[in-house]
Amino acid sequence: MNAKSLGIFGLLVMLFVFMVLMTSDSWTNIFSSTFLQSNNLENLLRRVSMYGLLGIGVAFVIITGGIDLSVGSIVCLAGCLLGIFLQVDYQPASVFEVHRAKVASDMLLVHGNADGVYKVGDRLRMYRGRQPALLTVQNVEPVQLADSEGESLGIGTVLKVQGLTRDEDSGQVAKAFEILDFGQAQGGQAAWVRITGVPFELAARDRIAFFHPSLGLKDLVVRKASREGEVSKVEFEQALGERFSKEWMAMPTARKQRMAIPIAIMSVLGIAGCLGLLHGLLVTRVHLQPFVVTLCGLLIYRGISRWLVDDNPVGFGIEYKETLSPLGSGKLSLFEWGTGDSVQTFGVPYPLFVFLFAAVIAAVFLNLTIWGRYLLALGSNEEAARYSGIRTERVTILAYVICTISAATGGILFALDSGSISPSSFGNFYELYAIAAAVLGGCSLRGGEGSIFGVIAGTAVMMLLNNLILLLKIPDRLEFTIIGLVILLGVTLDETVRRIAARRRAMKSAQS
Amino acid sequence: MPEVDTPLLEVRKIGKQFPGVRALHDVDLSVRQAEVLAVIGENGAGKSTLMKILAGVQMPDRGQVLIDGETVTLDSVKASLDSGVALIHQELNLAENLQVGENIYLGREPNRFGFIDRKQINADAVKVLEQIGLAVEPTTPLSDLSIGQRQMVEIAKAMSVGARVLIMDEPTSSLSSAEAERLFEVVKDLRTRGVSVIYISHRLGEVKALSNRVVVLRDGENAGVLGSDEITHDNMVRLMVGRDVSQFYSRETLPIGDVVLSVEGLRTPTWPEHEIAFSIRQGEIVGIAGLVGAGRTEMLRTLFGVDYPVAGTVAVAGKKIDLKSPIAAIEAGIALVPEDRKLNGLVIDMSVRHNISLAALSRNRLAGGFLNRAIENRDTTQMIRDLRIKTPNDAQITRFLSGGNQQKVVLGKWLSMMPKILLLDEPTRGIDVGAKQEIYQLMEKLAKEGLAVLFVSSEMEEIMGMSDRTIVMHEGRITGELQRSELSEESIMQLATGNANKVATVTN
Repeated sequence: MNAKSLGIFGLLVMLFVFMVLMTSDSWTNIFSSTFLQSNNLENLLRRVSMYGLLGIGVAFVIITGGIDLSVGSIVCLAGCLLGIFLQVDYQPASVFEVHRAKVASDMLLVHGNADGVYKVGDRLRMYRGRQPALLTVQNVEPVQLADSEGESLGIGTVLKVQGLTRDEDSGQVAKAFEILDFGQAQGGQAAWVRITGVPFELAARDRIAFFHPSLGLKDLVVRKASREGEVSKVEFEQALGERFSKEWMAMPTARKQRMAIPIAIMSVLGIAGCLGLLHGLLVTRVHLQPFVVTLCGLLIYRGISRWLVDDNPVGFGIEYKETLSPLGSGKLSLFEWGTGDSVQTFGVPYPLFVFLFAAVIAAVFLNLTIWGRYLLALGSNEEAARYSGIRTERVTILAYVICTISAATGGILFALDSGSISPSSFGNFYELYAIAAAVLGGCSLRGGEGSIFGVIAGTAVMMLLNNLILLLKIPDRLEFTIIGLVILLGVTLDETVRRIAARRRAMKSAQS
Repeated sequence: MPEVDTPLLEVRKIGKQFPGVRALHDVDLSVRQAEVLAVIGENGAGKSTLMKILAGVQMPDRGQVLIDGETVTLDSVKASLDSGVALIHQELNLAENLQVGENIYLGREPNRFGFIDRKQINADAVKVLEQIGLAVEPTTPLSDLSIGQRQMVEIAKAMSVGARVLIMDEPTSSLSSAEAERLFEVVKDLRTRGVSVIYISHRLGEVKALSNRVVVLRDGENAGVLGSDEITHDNMVRLMVGRDVSQFYSRETLPIGDVVLSVEGLRTPTWPEHEIAFSIRQGEIVGIAGLVGAGRTEMLRTLFGVDYPVAGTVAVAGKKIDLKSPIAAIEAGIALVPEDRKLNGLVIDMSVRHNISLAALSRNRLAGGFLNRAIENRDTTQMIRDLRIKTPNDAQITRFLSGGNQQKVVLGKWLSMMPKILLLDEPTRGIDVGAKQEIYQLMEKLAKEGLAVLFVSSEMEEIMGMSDRTIVMHEGRITGELQRSELSEESIMQLATGNANKVATVTN
């Protein structure tokens, strides 16, 4: 730890003490501090971890003398991509688009060859109507489809059905199945049903939608399923409910997750890494200025994110509640105290583990490997580094890759923590937080200087300030103003101290 | 002319103390009108501090400055300028984005109703430029000018404020020979106009040629004054280092080994029209002489893989190498101590240790790319000891070392890797006499150990003193080679100016 990191660490400690005192009832009872409430501390740690990841990443680029303004957009892109990669669809069996052949007729035109898929007597559920309509197939007849000019549109199917009401004239139909028998949940035994003819193998986490013409709809999650011949026996996570009867129809849907979780995460990080590679190549090979390259990145990735998801919010819902989401929003509970309603817990938020892991790797990389030394050297004097036989371009590119991968890691955690993100605002200004934290932590924008410890402390100071504004009920309109002023103060002090130290040192060496 | 006895500018018992260091102690100095006074001394002798005091950048703690016999207080640059003292900075203080005329009148532009009066500027500038004989239009952008011309603009600027004493701090350090010649003419011309010049330089040859008197400073004190008939190289060196330097360049003839570097048909990107061919043997010290701009630095850059050769082959110990980057050169055993150590040689804000180890990190790395700190510390300690690098410890930031010690750090970086061929570009530029001699001794010692040393120098004495054999270049080609016995200032200049009627005797 150098003197510079010590300074920011000192500021951190002072801010911490200040926060404790300001939020306590009295100076003697610091345990009354709202700041020290465990959920506040947990939240703070979580935020420090996630923003810290961004800060560490951008610190690498700043050490090379560059800058990365695309961090916030990378965060957003990573969140959106993760949402897309992990999107879960529930696919009913044998679905087709249909529309009514003629108003008020009982004929449906199926867009596709449904001959053989649907048979006379099959029950179908039709979507998009006001009520989920339950139809019975009375006749199936393939037809040749053509447009108004006679061009062939392939084979379609005409269904004669019973059960259409006035309203439905187009939508989707899917097969529904009758319930052979069922059992309510009792004791340790889960609720179950037996249905026949499901064209696919049901498995845990698939769902079955049950519906009743008058009692409505209910969606149950499969816990376990087994199959004997045509008959599937399915157990559920939830209860069937008292009004359940054989009158209900079952529409099984297969859970389709686009990617396995590790593959999705690797893909997001891989894409981010490629973008970093691109930034690095543009900076080193095409000799564009880092500011310009990453400013364009900022705009481009934000746009791509919004376009990818049609500007709709991306959510992880409850699909990953047990699996991936806790990585962002969960915690490892450590202590529990109090009784009854006032029970309190304190735990370490999981993002902190990710962050510490990344921080240790980053610190080791920067301080103990030759590449870390190369980074510092080329950031300080790229020419001299090149004249010393260092592949400066590669090392610079590596820094950009590290930065985007850290940003994407942060983005994944941010997205998981908030559960639902809106692509137009998610991650806005995060690059500035990251850069500010790095600069506060002792990275010089001229390059060649910086420590991981400093960046962590810098991030913590930023987050404490943020917390301070919240807890002291300072109007949050002033948030940016306060943060800006503190950074300005910090770097001014730092520059002054450094100047004095340099002068002292010069004199000392002049003396010797 | 005022009375001859009253000096134009006089400094009496000037003292300046920085915390913990005595920069100047009871220094006296006087400049008569129309005199060129050289101020010389090793680095740290107090020259710069004294000049800063005269230029109003720093205030003395004790003593007086007198102009025309009257005490003046030079508490700002403006005060100095008003008293007629102007400093021409080592690093030129001009705005590259402005025109010549605008630069001359920067900060005091003639104006009409607040708008800059360009006509006036240009009319005035023409006169000043004519005075010093610089043939450029006032409307020329400064960026179109060479370093030498820019310096002239600085001088013009000083003249335009009516300076009577011009302080020139190392004015020729970045000039070509021709430009330097031009500068000397201007200095002589200024003298005939009654302007006095305080001339600071490390180049004793220039000092000898130009000055009327020489003031020597040593450790912040007056070490002596030399009158015009006493200005000799030996006298100056003796006063500067405080001891007799009888054998400044003491070369003994060494046994020479096999050819270690051979260059054939090399065409550098800067001078692709000329082929370069030569070779060096183990234990040989070869000097490369030539005027500034003769393509010597470019040749070294190409040999070190910084610039990719257009054509030709370079072989180290008989093995051809592809010089696509410095890495290839380093792997083949070539090391380069570049001309500008602050720009290319050192990461000046890193420690001595980190600089010395920088090039060898990759070679010494542990599995997984981890630094081998044991080797790093061992090599650094060894280099600091062997090269006698004066530094409090190996964690000292290199910026705070003297020029000579910085140069040794660059040397240490390469010597720790045990190269076969050492390329040195102006190895003693900007370093003081004591350190110069150490560098020379080192070159000789390395040659004795079997290294091939190839050095570029613009100092005639250095070339003649140090080289076993001298290659002379002119405009990108080798115009001749001279054996030690054939070396003379004249023979070198003949070849350096492209006058190749002396047929080179190539003996490889």
